[in-house]
Amino acid sequence: MALTLHLFRRMLREEWRLHEELFGGRRFGAFPVAIAVLAAGGFELLRVTGTGFDAVAAGLHGLVFFFGLQVGTIGLVGRDALRDVLGDVTLLVFSARTLPVSWNRLLAVFLLKDLVYYAVFFLAPLGIAAAPSALRTGVTPGRIGLFWVTLVGAFALGVTLSLTLAGLATRSKLAVVVPVAVLTAAVVTIGFDVVAYTPYALYLDPSAIAAVRGFAPVVAFAVLGPLLFQPVEGRAQRTSPGRFSRIRGVLADDTGLTTRALLDVSRSSGSVWKVLFSMGVLFGVTALLLGQITAATGLEPSPGIAFGTLLGLGAFTTYSWVTQFDDPDEYRRYPVSLGAVFAGKRRAYLLLSLPAGLLYLAIATIWYPPRELAVGLLVLPLVAVYVFGVTAYVAGLSATELLFDTVLFVAFGAALALVSIPMLVAALVYPTAPVTTTVGAVALSLVAAVVGWLLGSRAGPKWERRLRE
Amino acid sequence: MPAIETAELTKRFGDLEALADLSLSVPEGELFALLGPNGSGKTTTIEILTGQLEPTSGTASVLGHDPVADPLAVRRAVGILPEREDPPSFLTPREYLEFVGAVRNLSDVSASIDDWADRFEFREKLDTLATDLSEGERQRVMLAAAFVHEPDLVFIDEPLVNLDPLMQEQIKGHFREYCERGNTVFLSTHFIEVAEELCTRVAIVSDGRLVAERNPQELDDGERLLDVFREEVGKSRAVPTGATD
Repeated sequence: MALTLHLFRRMLREEWRLHEELFGGRRFGAFPVAIAVLAAGGFELLRVTGTGFDAVAAGLHGLVFFFGLQVGTIGLVGRDALRDVLGDVTLLVFSARTLPVSWNRLLAVFLLKDLVYYAVFFLAPLGIAAAPSALRTGVTPGRIGLFWVTLVGAFALGVTLSLTLAGLATRSKLAVVVPVAVLTAAVVTIGFDVVAYTPYALYLDPSAIAAVRGFAPVVAFAVLGPLLFQPVEGRAQRTSPGRFSRIRGVLADDTGLTTRALLDVSRSSGSVWKVLFSMGVLFGVTALLLGQITAATGLEPSPGIAFGTLLGLGAFTTYSWVTQFDDPDEYRRYPVSLGAVFAGKRRAYLLLSLPAGLLYLAIATIWYPPRELAVGLLVLPLVAVYVFGVTAYVAGLSATELLFDTVLFVAFGAALALVSIPMLVAALVYPTAPVTTTVGAVALSLVAAVVGWLLGSRAGPKWERRLRE
Repeated sequence: MPAIETAELTKRFGDLEALADLSLSVPEGELFALLGPNGSGKTTTIEILTGQLEPTSGTASVLGHDPVADPLAVRRAVGILPEREDPPSFLTPREYLEFVGAVRNLSDVSASIDDWADRFEFREKLDTLATDLSEGERQRVMLAAAFVHEPDLVFIDEPLVNLDPLMQEQIKGHFREYCERGNTVFLSTHFIEVAEELCTRVAIVSDGRLVAERNPQELDDGERLLDVFREEVGKSRAVPTGATD
C-alpha cells in the first residue's frame, strides 16, 4: 500500500512537471479556468434556448463517458503506445521493465492518477461552470454536487471499461466481441436498462441502491482492467509486404507524404478503427443531444446541420492521428517544405475522416429522413477543412499539446466556436425557417472552409520559420 | 570550389551562444570531422549548414548553395543522418527508402534498395516494420537513407553509434571509398578514435568556437589527437562561455 501511494504521488508530480515544462506552470494552471469559462458560456447558451438542466446533465454524462472511453483507449492498447506515446513522457510507466513493481500495479496507479488529474482539470471546472445556470433554473446546490460526483463516475466508467475491453483484446478478440454483442442484444431485444448500471442512474434516482448498482461496474472494471491487460513486449517482428509504392501510385501522391501518414495510422494500434471509433463518439453524443433537445423543448433541430457540424469538428481527432507518429524535425532533413507536409497531411486527414463521417451520416438515416440529412453531406467536409486549417495553424504538427496549453486551447476553442455556435444555432432554429437556415449554414461552412484552406496553407511557412529560428 | 565554406558563423539562443564566429573551409573529397565535447556546437553547425536552423550572423555556402536563402536546394544536394533518429516506426525499411526516394523526387529508387540493403546488411529485414528492428538495424537503414540519392556531400552526426565492430569497419570502409570518388563526408563526433582513424582533417570545437584544426595523418611525432583535444579544449574552457550541441 505504501508503495502504491508513493507511486501515485510520483506520477502526479511527474504529470504536473511534464505540463509545467511544456507550457509553463501558470499557462497550465490557468487551463481549468479556461475550461470553466468556455463551459459556462455553453451552459448559458443552452439555458437561453430553453434546454432544461436535466437534459444538459444527461448529454454531459454521455459526453464525459465517451471521453473516458477515449482516454482509456489512447496509450493503453499496445506496445506501440507504450513505446511511442508513453515512452517519451511517462518515465514511471515506461520503467516497468526495470523497476521491481508489477506492470498491473503500475497500470492501476497510472489509471487512478489519470482519473484524479482529469477530475480536477476537466470535470471540476465543468461542475463549477454548470452551477450559475443550474441555480437560475432552480436546481439545488446539493443536486449540483451530485451532478459532479456522477459526472466523475461516468468518466471513470468510460476509462475503466475501455481498459477492460483493451485488456480482454490482448487475450482474445472474441472475448471482446461476445460480451458487447450480448449486451447490445439484451438492450435491443428485451429492453435491458443499461443506464441503471451507470453512475448516471444515481443522478436520476439519488438512492443507496442506485449508488451501489451504478458504481459497481466502475469498481469491477477498475479491478479487471489492470488484471486483464497484458503489455506486448515480445520481440515478435511484424513484417509487411511493401504497400508504399502501390498506395502512392493509386493516390498519385508524388511526395509520398499522404501515403506515409495513411500507413502510420493504419499500422499503429487500433488501425483505422480508431478513426471510426472517435467519430462514433461524436455521432453518439450528437444523437443523444438531438434527442434530449427535442424531448426538452419540443424543437426538432436539423439533423443534417447538427451531424455535419459535430462530425466535422470530430475530425480533430483524425488530425491528431495523422500527425502523431512523426516529428516535424524529421522533415527538415528532406528537400520538402513544411507547406508540402501539411498539404500531404490534409489529404490523409480528409481521406480518413470523410468516409468515417459519411458512414455515420448514412447510419443516421435509420432515424432521420435522408432529405433532412442531405445538408450534412456539404457541411461535414467543409467544417472538416476548417478544423484542419485552424489546428494546423494554431498547433502545427503537435495537436495534442494544445489540449493543455491554456493560450492555445482558448485560441483554438474560440476559432471553432466562431463557426460551430452559429451552425448549431442554425440547426436549432431550422424548424422556423428551413430554407434560410440551410442556405445560411452551407454558406457559413463554405466561408469557414475557405478560411481553413488559407490557414492550412499558411501553417507551413509559419511553423517553418519557428523551427528554423 | 570548397564543398563547404563558412565565415564567422554565429548562433545564439537567447543569451546562449551556441556557435561563435565559426569559419571553416572543407574541400571536395575530404573526410572531415567536427570533433568536440558534448554541447560544443557540433549539431548546431550541421543544422545551420543543412538549412535546418538560421544563423544569427555569418555566412555559409554548401556545394555552392546558401543554406539560409535556399535551404531546399541544400537538402536536395546533400544527405543528412542526424544523431539519434530512427526510421518511421510503421514503415518497413523498403518502404522508408521508397518514401525518401519519393520525397527526393527520385525517378526509381526501388531498383537500388536491394543494393543498399546488401551493403549495410539489412536485406533480410527489408519487410520488417522499423518499430521491430534493433537499434543497430535502424541505424543501418538510416545510413542507407542518407546515401540513397548518391549525393556529393553527406552530413553525419555520430555515425557509428549502436553498430557492432564488424559493421563499424564496413561503414568506415564505405566512407573512405565514397570520398575517394570525389565526394565529401562531414562527420560530427565526440569519439576521438573515430576522427583520428578515419578522417583526413579534424576541426576541434569547444563551447561553440573553433579551437584547432589538424590532419590526423600529419601530427607531430608522438603527438596524439587526444593530446591536442585535451590541450585546446582545456584552454578554451579557461574562458567560460555556454553552448549546446
